[in-house]
Amino acid sequence: MTNSIQELQDADLVFVIGSNMTEAHPIVSYYVKRAAKKGATVIVNDPRRTDLCRWASHYVQLASGSDIAYINGLINEIFKNGWADEEFLKEHTENPDEIRAWVQDYPVERASEICGVPVEQMKEIARLLGTSKSASVCYTLGITEHICGTDNVKTLANLQMVLGNLGKRSAGLNPLRGQNNVQGACDMGALPNVFHNYQSVTDPNAVAKMEQAWGVSGLSDRAGYKMPTMLRKARDGGTKILYCIGDNTVQSEPNIAHTIKELEALELFIVVDIFPNLTTPYAHVVFPDYSWGEEEGTFTNTERRVNRVRAALKAPGGARPSWWVLQELGKRLGFDLGFTSAKAVYEDMRRTATSYAGITYERLDVAGLQWPCPTLEHPGTRFLHKDGNFSRGKGLFSKTDWVPPAEVVDEEYPLVLSTGRRLWHYHTGTQTRNSVGLETLFPEELIEMNPADAEPLGIKSGDMVRATSRRGEVMLRAWVNERSNPGLCWMAFHFAEACGNQLTIDAFDPVTETAEYKVCAIRVEKVADAEVPMKGLCRQARP
Amino acid sequence: MAMTDIKSILDMAIGREEEAFRFYADVADRMTNPAVKEIFGQLSQDELGHKTFLQAALKDDQIIAKLPVPADYKVAEATEEPALSIDMKPADALALAMKREQESAEFYRGLAQSASDATLGAMFENLALMELGHKTRLEHMFVDIGYPEVF
Repeated sequence: MTNSIQELQDADLVFVIGSNMTEAHPIVSYYVKRAAKKGATVIVNDPRRTDLCRWASHYVQLASGSDIAYINGLINEIFKNGWADEEFLKEHTENPDEIRAWVQDYPVERASEICGVPVEQMKEIARLLGTSKSASVCYTLGITEHICGTDNVKTLANLQMVLGNLGKRSAGLNPLRGQNNVQGACDMGALPNVFHNYQSVTDPNAVAKMEQAWGVSGLSDRAGYKMPTMLRKARDGGTKILYCIGDNTVQSEPNIAHTIKELEALELFIVVDIFPNLTTPYAHVVFPDYSWGEEEGTFTNTERRVNRVRAALKAPGGARPSWWVLQELGKRLGFDLGFTSAKAVYEDMRRTATSYAGITYERLDVAGLQWPCPTLEHPGTRFLHKDGNFSRGKGLFSKTDWVPPAEVVDEEYPLVLSTGRRLWHYHTGTQTRNSVGLETLFPEELIEMNPADAEPLGIKSGDMVRATSRRGEVMLRAWVNERSNPGLCWMAFHFAEACGNQLTIDAFDPVTETAEYKVCAIRVEKVADAEVPMKGLCRQARP
Repeated sequence: MAMTDIKSILDMAIGREEEAFRFYADVADRMTNPAVKEIFGQLSQDELGHKTFLQAALKDDQIIAKLPVPADYKVAEATEEPALSIDMKPADALALAMKREQESAEFYRGLAQSASDATLGAMFENLALMELGHKTRLEHMFVDIGYPEVF
């Protein structure tokens, strides 16, 4: 995030796109609700009417996978009406004339045809954005989980630069990172091409720095594979060993049947996790891990805030911290990392990570700190790009063009399936489905369908249906409601027995290799009438 | 006597600002990245502003004493000085500038410690604080762009 979470409550306008934040990021949504209560304009843009719409002043129901056309149409309208921040464009961007020309291809009428948002509504949204003093954009996986996810993000960056909404309090571009520590995992270099602190493994200076710090030589200067490539290469022997920590790969990757074949092709598959799950049966070795309540360390949240985590419980049986398991493996492979605690691991990272250099366990005992925090005297950084300054100098607009999703509907598969998260369960349910309380609140997956699609098929809420894509099928009950557009179905991937990823397509963004979880083509057939009253289920499904 | 010595101190300080102006203006001319060229150009103008301030202090040296005491986050001290090159990145340009302000502050602080006269010592200390203020401002700018999340 370029802003801090709390700043959202002071925005004049919050533009939420592709983010079901009340269910997936409930703490962040709290601050957006506060903004709404204080009179802010809150615009929710989503193919599905999420719960945040109850707080929003405007709801825009755009078609799945049409974000680039929609946003470019808004930018076009903003320029057309003189609402662009010309001073920001002149002083802080490199190629404002190019973006002005590029969006000419997206007159609001054409954009409307692609995204399905009425022309008049698009004009109104453009006016609200163009005339607000500070607008904060929040987005999540509804933007990134497309084959054009990278371009989706670039388009939002274009929008905020055109409006001059960067480098200001309560006005920025805010991806809400998943889970509690995705930001921290990236900061620590759990990526194929960087050491911790985003130091490139292909930079000879960074490699030399790490070799000196760790007292080793010969560190690889080649970027590794991203996860889809790792798995794909298992089939041709390019990946022989996979070491997997806390990831239920089978259930979370798209196209489960395909993923299983890839894992089965590995010579050695090691899993480190806290419970058996859909993935562990394919592992040759499973190491029991500490859970979040049992380990020491730090988490870094979406606003770059590093928080101290303390063990509240003693881990059961032979479970060990994941750093300890790695260290023991290292010893057996002939290299002792020499760590004695999570703090020792952290300190090893801190001495070579300048943005974390000022963040010590002792300071974290008082309060969380936001990086960059390069010295012990530094207070941390609440928001980035103050006064419109960027790392590369001036902001660079990127040309983005709408492309249709990898799989579009046809006669055989006439409905779009989009997937996501529910409040009551977390990711693949490895933890939450072992919680009796949560399992009681939401015990089974439901496929959400618009009445316009369900009624012709004779489907009503509670009926058992079969959803089929070119990759697999699932049996589950239907929940007929008007949350989604006609033509759009929706389900989550928390439940192994009816998992959306049996159906999703293994088509990926070419840059990030993020799968297009948000769009695939399916058909739905009724299997049996409802046996359980649907009223209760509806109540439980809504947060 | 004190005023005469204060004047000579301020003259020296003005000379240092002029030298810094020429340095940044010269460097700005050579840069290939327009954004870096702009940063150095702005830095050269900043030095002219500092010179004007010190010229005003020749008439009323108390204006230096009235400068607020800046926070010192010691970012410059923790940052390696980048080599000057025509293809520097914006963050490197700021790092170079904040290192120079650090050196200036240390220069005046050293003179303050060795000053035999309390009035002169106070003037050197105030000049050190002024340079520290410049360093802190540049550190803010550096921290804002110096740690990109690029992967």
